[in-house]
Amino acid sequence: MSIMKRRLGSIAVLAAFLGAAPLVAQDAVPAQPEAPPQSDPALMDRAEEELDAKAAEIAAELRCPVCRNQAVVESNAELSREMQALVRERLVAGDSPDEVKEYFVSRYGEWILLEPQRRGINWVVWILPFLALAAGAVLAVILVRKWAAAGSGDEAAVEPAAVLSDENERWIREAIRNG
Amino acid sequence: MRKHLTWILPLAALPALWLLFQGMGVDKYELPSPLEGNTAPEFTLETMDGDTVALADLAGRAVVLNFWASWCIPCRQEHDVLKMTEATYDPEQAVVLGVVYQDTEQNARRFLAALGGDWTHLLDPTQRTAIDYGVYGVPETFFISPDGQIARKKVGPVTWDLVKPTLDSLIATQTSTAASLGGAE
Repeated sequence: MSIMKRRLGSIAVLAAFLGAAPLVAQDAVPAQPEAPPQSDPALMDRAEEELDAKAAEIAAELRCPVCRNQAVVESNAELSREMQALVRERLVAGDSPDEVKEYFVSRYGEWILLEPQRRGINWVVWILPFLALAAGAVLAVILVRKWAAAGSGDEAAVEPAAVLSDENERWIREAIRNG
Repeated sequence: MRKHLTWILPLAALPALWLLFQGMGVDKYELPSPLEGNTAPEFTLETMDGDTVALADLAGRAVVLNFWASWCIPCRQEHDVLKMTEATYDPEQAVVLGVVYQDTEQNARRFLAALGGDWTHLLDPTQRTAIDYGVYGVPETFFISPDGQIARKKVGPVTWDLVKPTLDSLIATQTSTAASLGGAE
Protein backbone atom coordinates (compact mmCIF):
# COMPACT_ATOMS: atom_id res chain seq x y z
CA MET A 1 0.00 0.00 0.00
CA SER A 2 2.77 2.38 0.92
CA ILE A 3 4.54 1.60 -2.38
CA MET A 4 1.33 2.36 -4.23
CA LYS A 5 1.07 5.68 -2.45
CA ARG A 6 4.70 6.45 -3.23
CA ARG A 7 4.06 5.81 -6.90
CA LEU A 8 1.06 8.08 -6.85
CA GLY A 9 3.23 10.71 -5.19
CA SER A 10 5.95 10.38 -7.85
CA ILE A 11 3.37 10.69 -10.61
CA ALA A 12 2.00 13.82 -8.96
CA VAL A 13 5.44 15.41 -8.80
CA LEU A 14 6.19 14.42 -12.38
CA ALA A 15 2.85 15.79 -13.56
CA ALA A 16 3.45 19.06 -11.74
CA PHE A 17 6.82 19.50 -13.45
CA LEU A 18 5.63 18.35 -16.87
CA GLY A 19 2.69 20.71 -16.64
CA ALA A 20 4.98 23.64 -15.98
CA ALA A 21 7.73 22.63 -18.40
CA PRO A 22 6.18 23.76 -21.73
CA LEU A 23 5.31 27.15 -20.27
CA VAL A 24 8.84 27.61 -19.00
CA ALA A 25 10.19 26.48 -22.38
CA GLN A 26 8.03 29.05 -24.15
CA ASP A 27 9.33 31.79 -21.89
CA ALA A 28 12.85 30.72 -22.64
CA VAL A 29 12.49 31.40 -26.38
CA PRO A 30 11.56 35.03 -26.83
CA ALA A 31 10.68 36.38 -30.24
CA GLN A 32 13.74 38.02 -31.67
CA PRO A 33 13.00 41.35 -33.25
CA GLU A 34 15.16 41.99 -36.23
CA ALA A 35 15.37 45.02 -38.44
CA PRO A 36 13.52 44.65 -41.72
CA PRO A 37 15.64 44.34 -44.83
CA GLN A 38 16.42 47.65 -46.48
CA SER A 39 17.11 48.10 -50.14
CA ASP A 40 19.78 50.71 -49.62
CA PRO A 41 21.10 51.06 -46.05
CA ALA A 42 23.40 53.92 -47.05
CA LEU A 43 20.43 56.18 -47.66
CA MET A 44 18.85 55.54 -44.30
CA ASP A 45 19.28 58.24 -41.75
CA ARG A 46 19.25 57.62 -38.04
CA ALA A 47 15.62 58.61 -37.51
CA GLU A 48 14.52 56.14 -40.15
CA GLU A 49 16.58 53.42 -38.55
CA GLU A 50 14.97 54.09 -35.19
CA LEU A 51 11.54 54.07 -36.78
CA ASP A 52 12.23 50.72 -38.41
CA ALA A 53 13.47 49.31 -35.13
CA LYS A 54 10.35 50.55 -33.37
CA ALA A 55 8.08 49.13 -36.09
CA ALA A 56 9.93 45.80 -35.89
CA GLU A 57 9.51 45.80 -32.12
CA ILE A 58 5.74 46.21 -32.45
CA ALA A 59 5.58 43.73 -35.33
CA ALA A 60 7.33 41.20 -33.07
CA GLU A 61 4.34 41.37 -30.74
CA LEU A 62 1.75 40.93 -33.49
CA ARG A 63 0.68 37.53 -34.74
CA CYS A 64 0.85 36.86 -38.45
CA PRO A 65 -2.80 36.07 -39.28
CA VAL A 66 -1.96 33.57 -42.01
CA CYS A 67 0.88 31.71 -40.27
CA ARG A 68 1.06 29.32 -37.37
CA ASN A 69 2.41 30.97 -34.23
CA GLN A 70 4.71 33.33 -36.04
CA ALA A 71 5.21 37.02 -35.42
CA VAL A 72 4.54 39.51 -38.18
CA VAL A 73 8.20 40.55 -38.11
CA GLU A 74 9.40 36.99 -38.74
CA SER A 75 6.92 36.22 -41.48
CA ASN A 76 7.40 36.72 -45.17
CA ALA A 77 3.69 36.35 -45.87
CA GLU A 78 2.32 39.14 -48.03
CA LEU A 79 -0.21 40.10 -45.37
CA SER A 80 2.49 40.30 -42.71
CA ARG A 81 4.68 42.51 -44.88
CA GLU A 82 1.72 44.85 -45.37
CA MET A 83 0.94 44.78 -41.66
CA GLN A 84 4.49 45.79 -40.81
CA ALA A 85 4.36 48.57 -43.38
CA LEU A 86 1.11 49.71 -41.79
CA VAL A 87 2.72 49.70 -38.33
CA ARG A 88 5.45 51.96 -39.67
CA GLU A 89 2.94 54.26 -41.38
CA ARG A 90 0.94 54.61 -38.19
CA LEU A 91 4.08 55.44 -36.19
CA VAL A 92 4.95 58.10 -38.76
CA ALA A 93 1.41 59.45 -38.47
CA GLY A 94 2.07 59.96 -34.77
CA ASP A 95 0.47 56.89 -33.16
CA SER A 96 2.09 55.55 -30.01
CA PRO A 97 3.12 51.85 -30.01
CA ASP A 98 0.14 51.11 -27.76
CA GLU A 99 -2.23 52.88 -30.14
CA VAL A 100 -0.84 50.86 -33.05
CA LYS A 101 -1.39 47.60 -31.17
CA GLU A 102 -4.83 48.76 -30.09
CA TYR A 103 -5.72 49.31 -33.75
CA PHE A 104 -4.86 45.71 -34.65
CA VAL A 105 -6.72 44.41 -31.60
CA SER A 106 -9.80 46.38 -32.65
CA ARG A 107 -9.66 44.66 -36.06
CA TYR A 108 -8.57 41.11 -35.25
CA GLY A 109 -9.33 40.83 -31.57
CA GLU A 110 -6.81 40.18 -28.81
CA TRP A 111 -5.81 37.04 -30.66
CA ILE A 112 -3.54 39.18 -32.85
CA LEU A 113 -1.22 39.84 -29.89
CA LEU A 114 1.31 37.05 -29.38
CA GLU A 115 1.31 37.75 -25.65
CA PRO A 116 -1.99 38.22 -23.86
CA GLN A 117 -2.35 41.70 -22.40
CA ARG A 118 -1.52 41.89 -18.70
CA ARG A 119 -4.90 42.86 -17.38
CA GLY A 120 -8.07 41.38 -15.90
CA ILE A 121 -8.55 37.63 -16.26
CA ASN A 122 -5.40 37.48 -18.42
CA TRP A 123 -3.28 37.69 -15.27
CA VAL A 124 -4.18 34.04 -14.73
CA VAL A 125 -2.05 32.94 -17.70
CA TRP A 126 0.86 35.01 -16.48
CA ILE A 127 0.73 33.92 -12.86
CA LEU A 128 -0.57 30.34 -13.03
CA PRO A 129 2.59 28.73 -14.50
CA PHE A 130 4.70 30.17 -11.70
CA LEU A 131 2.14 29.18 -9.09
CA ALA A 132 2.07 25.66 -10.55
CA LEU A 133 5.88 25.53 -10.51
CA ALA A 134 5.99 26.73 -6.90
CA ALA A 135 3.27 24.29 -5.87
CA GLY A 136 5.16 21.49 -7.63
CA ALA A 137 8.39 22.40 -5.85
CA VAL A 138 6.67 22.54 -2.46
CA LEU A 139 4.98 19.21 -3.17
CA ALA A 140 8.31 17.68 -4.19
CA VAL A 141 10.04 18.88 -1.02
CA ILE A 142 7.22 17.63 1.19
CA LEU A 143 7.08 14.25 -0.51
CA VAL A 144 10.85 13.75 -0.52
CA ARG A 145 10.97 14.55 3.20
CA LYS A 146 8.13 12.16 3.88
CA TRP A 147 9.79 9.43 1.88
CA ALA A 148 13.08 9.95 3.68
CA ALA A 149 11.31 9.77 7.04
CA ALA A 150 9.18 6.83 5.97
CA GLY A 151 12.23 5.09 4.45
CA SER A 152 13.98 4.59 7.82
CA GLY A 153 10.68 3.49 9.39
CA ASP A 154 10.05 0.99 6.61
CA GLU A 155 13.47 -0.60 6.97
CA ALA A 156 12.79 -1.18 10.66
CA ALA A 157 9.47 -2.72 9.78
CA VAL A 158 10.89 -4.94 7.06
CA GLU A 159 13.96 -6.15 9.01
CA PRO A 160 12.23 -8.41 11.51
CA ALA A 161 10.54 -10.27 8.68
CA ALA A 162 13.95 -10.95 7.11
CA VAL A 163 15.47 -12.03 10.39
CA LEU A 164 15.11 -15.69 11.32
CA SER A 165 12.80 -16.51 14.11
CA ASP A 166 14.46 -17.73 17.29
CA GLU A 167 13.17 -21.23 16.75
CA ASN A 168 14.52 -21.50 13.22
CA GLU A 169 17.87 -20.05 14.24
CA ARG A 170 18.18 -22.58 16.97
CA TRP A 171 17.31 -25.39 14.54
CA ILE A 172 19.94 -24.23 12.01
CA ARG A 173 22.66 -23.83 14.67
CA GLU A 174 21.89 -27.31 15.91
CA ALA A 175 22.00 -28.71 12.42
CA ILE A 176 25.43 -27.11 11.80
CA ARG A 177 26.76 -28.33 15.11
CA ASN A 178 25.55 -31.84 14.40
CA GLY A 179 27.21 -31.69 10.99
CA MET B 1 -1.27 15.02 3.30
CA ARG B 2 -1.42 11.85 1.19
CA LYS B 3 -5.07 11.39 1.95
CA HIS B 4 -5.75 14.90 0.74
CA LEU B 5 -3.76 14.28 -2.43
CA THR B 6 -6.12 11.55 -3.54
CA TRP B 7 -8.91 14.05 -3.98
CA ILE B 8 -6.96 17.30 -4.54
CA LEU B 9 -5.29 15.99 -7.70
CA PRO B 10 -8.46 14.88 -9.53
CA LEU B 11 -10.09 18.11 -8.40
CA ALA B 12 -7.20 20.13 -9.81
CA ALA B 13 -7.59 18.32 -13.14
CA LEU B 14 -11.23 19.38 -13.43
CA PRO B 15 -10.61 22.93 -14.72
CA ALA B 16 -8.24 21.54 -17.37
CA LEU B 17 -10.84 18.98 -18.45
CA TRP B 18 -13.48 21.69 -18.55
CA LEU B 19 -11.27 23.85 -20.82
CA LEU B 20 -10.64 20.86 -23.09
CA PHE B 21 -14.35 20.16 -23.28
CA GLN B 22 -15.11 23.80 -24.08
CA GLY B 23 -12.43 23.83 -26.78
CA MET B 24 -13.89 20.77 -28.48
CA GLY B 25 -17.29 22.43 -28.68
CA VAL B 26 -15.95 25.46 -30.55
CA ASP B 27 -16.58 25.71 -34.28
CA LYS B 28 -13.18 26.64 -35.71
CA TYR B 29 -14.83 28.53 -38.56
CA GLU B 30 -16.71 30.78 -36.17
CA LEU B 31 -13.88 33.20 -35.44
CA PRO B 32 -15.17 35.94 -33.21
CA SER B 33 -14.65 39.35 -34.77
CA PRO B 34 -14.42 42.44 -32.60
CA LEU B 35 -15.98 44.29 -35.53
CA GLU B 36 -19.42 42.68 -35.25
CA GLY B 37 -21.81 45.28 -33.88
CA ASN B 38 -19.42 48.10 -34.67
CA THR B 39 -19.32 50.61 -37.49
CA ALA B 40 -17.91 49.13 -40.68
CA PRO B 41 -14.50 50.63 -41.49
CA GLU B 42 -14.80 53.15 -44.29
CA PHE B 43 -13.01 52.49 -47.56
CA THR B 44 -12.66 54.02 -51.00
CA LEU B 45 -11.37 51.52 -53.53
CA GLU B 46 -10.99 51.31 -57.25
CA THR B 47 -13.18 48.84 -59.09
CA MET B 48 -11.85 46.49 -61.75
CA ASP B 49 -13.51 48.77 -64.29
CA GLY B 50 -11.61 51.81 -63.11
CA ASP B 51 -14.41 53.49 -61.14
CA THR B 52 -14.17 54.35 -57.48
CA VAL B 53 -16.54 53.05 -54.81
CA ALA B 54 -16.74 54.26 -51.23
CA LEU B 55 -18.71 52.43 -48.55
CA ALA B 56 -20.37 55.74 -47.67
CA ASP B 57 -21.94 55.81 -51.15
CA LEU B 58 -23.94 52.71 -50.22
CA ALA B 59 -25.53 54.08 -47.04
CA GLY B 60 -29.16 53.04 -46.74
CA ARG B 61 -28.52 49.69 -48.39
CA ALA B 62 -27.43 46.39 -46.88
CA VAL B 63 -23.99 45.42 -48.17
CA VAL B 64 -22.53 41.95 -48.61
CA LEU B 65 -18.79 42.61 -48.62
CA ASN B 66 -17.02 39.50 -49.86
CA PHE B 67 -13.23 39.12 -49.83
CA TRP B 68 -12.22 36.53 -52.41
CA ALA B 69 -9.46 35.30 -54.71
CA SER B 70 -9.39 33.24 -57.88
CA TRP B 71 -6.95 30.77 -56.28
CA CYS B 72 -9.33 30.08 -53.40
CA ILE B 73 -11.36 26.90 -53.78
CA PRO B 74 -14.06 27.72 -51.17
CA CYS B 75 -14.60 31.00 -53.06
CA ARG B 76 -15.55 28.90 -56.07
CA GLN B 77 -17.99 26.95 -53.87
CA GLU B 78 -19.78 30.04 -52.61
CA HIS B 79 -19.83 31.88 -55.93
CA ASP B 80 -23.26 30.59 -56.93
CA VAL B 81 -24.71 31.77 -53.60
CA LEU B 82 -23.40 35.27 -54.27
CA LYS B 83 -24.82 35.13 -57.79
CA MET B 84 -28.18 34.14 -56.36
CA THR B 85 -27.94 36.98 -53.82
CA GLU B 86 -27.31 39.50 -56.54
CA ALA B 87 -30.17 38.14 -58.64
CA THR B 88 -32.65 37.98 -55.75
CA TYR B 89 -32.28 41.36 -54.08
CA ASP B 90 -33.21 44.79 -55.34
CA PRO B 91 -29.93 46.73 -55.65
CA GLU B 92 -31.64 49.62 -53.90
CA GLN B 93 -31.99 47.37 -50.83
CA ALA B 94 -28.95 45.11 -50.87
CA VAL B 95 -25.74 45.03 -52.89
CA VAL B 96 -22.93 42.53 -53.23
CA LEU B 97 -19.39 43.90 -53.31
CA GLY B 98 -16.38 41.75 -54.02
CA VAL B 99 -12.88 42.65 -52.85
CA VAL B 100 -10.10 40.87 -54.72
CA TYR B 101 -7.63 39.64 -52.11
CA GLN B 102 -3.97 38.82 -52.87
CA ASP B 103 -4.68 38.15 -56.49
CA THR B 104 -3.92 39.67 -59.86
CA GLU B 105 -6.62 41.52 -61.70
CA GLN B 106 -6.04 39.27 -64.70
CA ASN B 107 -6.69 36.09 -62.69
CA ALA B 108 -9.75 37.63 -61.09
CA ARG B 109 -11.14 38.52 -64.52
CA ARG B 110 -10.52 35.00 -65.78
CA PHE B 111 -12.34 33.55 -62.75
CA LEU B 112 -15.35 35.85 -63.33
CA ALA B 113 -15.40 35.13 -67.05
CA ALA B 114 -15.59 31.41 -66.29
CA LEU B 115 -18.06 31.50 -63.39
CA GLY B 116 -20.07 34.64 -64.05
CA GLY B 117 -21.11 37.25 -61.50
CA ASP B 118 -21.25 40.86 -62.58
CA TRP B 119 -21.45 42.68 -59.26
CA THR B 120 -18.82 45.26 -58.49
CA HIS B 121 -15.35 43.96 -57.67
CA LEU B 122 -12.88 46.19 -55.87
CA LEU B 123 -9.11 46.05 -55.91
CA ASP B 124 -7.17 46.29 -52.65
CA PRO B 125 -3.54 46.06 -53.78
CA THR B 126 -2.07 47.26 -50.46
CA GLN B 127 -4.49 45.04 -48.49
CA ARG B 128 -5.20 47.97 -46.19
CA THR B 129 -8.95 47.38 -46.44
CA ALA B 130 -8.48 43.67 -45.72
CA ILE B 131 -6.42 44.51 -42.62
CA ASP B 132 -8.97 47.15 -41.64
CA TYR B 133 -11.61 44.43 -41.67
CA GLY B 134 -9.41 41.97 -39.81
CA VAL B 135 -9.31 39.51 -42.70
CA TYR B 136 -7.31 36.30 -42.11
CA GLY B 137 -7.90 34.55 -45.38
CA VAL B 138 -10.48 34.13 -48.08
CA PRO B 139 -13.36 33.83 -48.35
CA GLU B 140 -14.54 36.15 -45.64
CA THR B 141 -17.88 37.89 -45.89
CA PHE B 142 -19.19 40.86 -43.94
CA PHE B 143 -22.88 41.72 -43.74
CA ILE B 144 -23.15 45.47 -43.32
CA SER B 145 -26.46 46.95 -42.24
CA PRO B 146 -28.02 49.91 -44.09
CA ASP B 147 -26.84 52.18 -41.28
CA GLY B 148 -23.24 51.06 -41.71
CA GLN B 149 -22.84 48.54 -38.86
CA ILE B 150 -21.18 45.17 -39.28
CA ALA B 151 -24.02 42.82 -38.43
CA ARG B 152 -22.22 39.56 -39.12
CA LYS B 153 -18.88 38.21 -40.27
CA LYS B 154 -18.60 34.82 -41.92
CA VAL B 155 -15.28 33.05 -42.31
CA GLY B 156 -15.41 30.42 -45.03
CA PRO B 157 -17.94 29.98 -47.82
CA VAL B 158 -21.37 31.52 -47.33
CA THR B 159 -24.52 29.50 -47.87
CA TRP B 160 -27.93 30.66 -49.00
CA ASP B 161 -29.26 29.57 -45.60
CA LEU B 162 -27.00 32.16 -44.03
CA VAL B 163 -27.25 34.95 -46.60
CA LYS B 164 -31.03 35.03 -46.99
CA PRO B 165 -32.13 35.34 -43.34
CA THR B 166 -29.27 37.75 -42.59
CA LEU B 167 -30.10 40.08 -45.46
CA ASP B 168 -33.86 39.77 -44.93
CA SER B 169 -33.52 40.83 -41.31
CA LEU B 170 -31.19 43.72 -42.23
CA ILE B 171 -33.62 44.95 -44.86
CA ALA B 172 -36.61 44.46 -42.52
CA THR B 173 -34.90 46.49 -39.80
CA GLN B 174 -34.20 49.24 -42.30
CA THR B 175 -37.80 49.21 -43.57
CA SER B 176 -39.27 49.30 -40.06
CA THR B 177 -36.89 52.11 -39.05
CA ALA B 178 -37.86 54.05 -42.15
CA ALA B 179 -41.56 53.39 -41.44
CA SER B 180 -41.28 54.52 -37.84
CA LEU B 181 -39.38 57.63 -38.92
CA GLY B 182 -42.03 58.27 -41.56
CA GLY B 183 -44.75 57.83 -38.95
CA ALA B 184 -43.05 60.25 -36.58
CA GLU B 185 -42.80 62.94 -39.17
